[in-house]
Amino acid sequence: MKKLEFIYEDGAHKWAVVARDPAKPSHLIDTNEYLVLNGGEALLADPGGMEIFSAVFSAISAEIDPYTIRHLFASHQDPDVISSLALWLDFNPDLKCHLSWLWGSFIPHFGGTADTFVAIPDEGATISLGGLMLDAIPAHYLHSSGNFNLYDRKARILFSGDVGAALLPPEESGLYVENFDRHIRHSRDFHRRWMGSNKAKLSWCERVSRLDIDMLCPQHGAIYRGEDVKRFINWFADLDVGSGIRD
Amino acid sequence: MDIMNDIEPISSLHRVVKANEDIKKVIRISSGVNLVALNAMLIAKRSGERSRGFAVVSSELRLFSRNLDAAMTGLGELIFSLVRDAAAMQRQRQQHSHFMAVMSINKSMRKWVEPPLARVEARMGSIEEEISRDWHKLRLQLNRVLQLCESGRSLSRSAKIEAVYGGDMSTTLKQVANQIEETVDEIFSTLKLLRMQLAE
Ligand SMILES: [Fe+2]
Ligand SMILES: [Fe+2]
Repeated sequence: MKKLEFIYEDGAHKWAVVARDPAKPSHLIDTNEYLVLNGGEALLADPGGMEIFSAVFSAISAEIDPYTIRHLFASHQDPDVISSLALWLDFNPDLKCHLSWLWGSFIPHFGGTADTFVAIPDEGATISLGGLMLDAIPAHYLHSSGNFNLYDRKARILFSGDVGAALLPPEESGLYVENFDRHIRHSRDFHRRWMGSNKAKLSWCERVSRLDIDMLCPQHGAIYRGEDVKRFINWFADLDVGSGIRD
Repeated sequence: MDIMNDIEPISSLHRVVKANEDIKKVIRISSGVNLVALNAMLIAKRSGERSRGFAVVSSELRLFSRNLDAAMTGLGELIFSLVRDAAAMQRQRQQHSHFMAVMSINKSMRKWVEPPLARVEARMGSIEEEISRDWHKLRLQLNRVLQLCESGRSLSRSAKIEAVYGGDMSTTLKQVANQIEETVDEIFSTLKLLRMQLAE
């Protein structure tokens, strides 16, 4: 069953993850949902698909008052990212959903009204969470053509969406990457196939390597810490993407 | 008749689709009435003075065909809103089951889940009302079409009588009159079947 785990705590400023779920039916891709808390408010990054809403909702609500969630952040438009939107809005119709302007008229097919959405322009934006500034960092074409990461410079955490994702076998269910070389084998095919542009990739690597990052948190797979963050960025910079079609 | 019908809720898409199949059939036959009417007018024109009565009947038939068209458009609109509401209902049911799933994971979630559940249920209630209003309207509209067909039937009888006075054109006129009768009867029987289904 899904469970909320805290990965960063500094007073009322916290990050938590509802990590992968070994009990989830195998026909659904496994996802991590991240919760950022500050000043009595919370933001849920990539709330997940409709089919796992009940698991995510109960995992979060077991630990915190779900009404503190005021913001949803959708890194991109995929169903595993945001198809639970209508259910979250049923729970709290005042929720705001931050996402790329590019998907502004697509995501409402999952639910919401004109008041629900806060469009992020291509160059990015900052989202204030109880006074804490979170940066929506452009990651276009990685893999979606309107795609953002979320950076918390105070916690030094980067939520990277599908970048850094790994499709791990069930026996590797740890929250963190422990052995980079072993772990990255489960990332290679995913990135080669899903990431479409080497140019976009290099731009991302260049920009992100200048940020202070203690944890790089992907939507699928395990979290990279410390030196593994640099290792991942270098590995990704060297990888030829847009080339993963099997023949 | 299908046993499923007895337990099929009025909000089911399956039920709407089934009704729509019959309505489509009626619409198809109705568009045939227009052709029959045109044909009748043409023949009446060719036979001139000998079939003035027949000409009157055939122009009334044109009018009947136009009214039938309008009535069919009304049926189509009702089906459209029934499909829309059945889809909305399906979506609410899905939402409902997701919130129920939260409670089955953890009973203590009740306090969080009850307000959204109440909202979903309220929405289901008003959709359900809308749907039963639409089925009622559909039944009324169907009765109107049946009445219209009743007038179509008397037109076909008049056409038969007029055909007798058609002199050497009598056989052709009789053929046309039979055509009218067949088409109206076909619409009639399909509509009656549909009405029986809707009454369940
Ligand atoms: Fe994706
Ligand atoms: Fe994803």
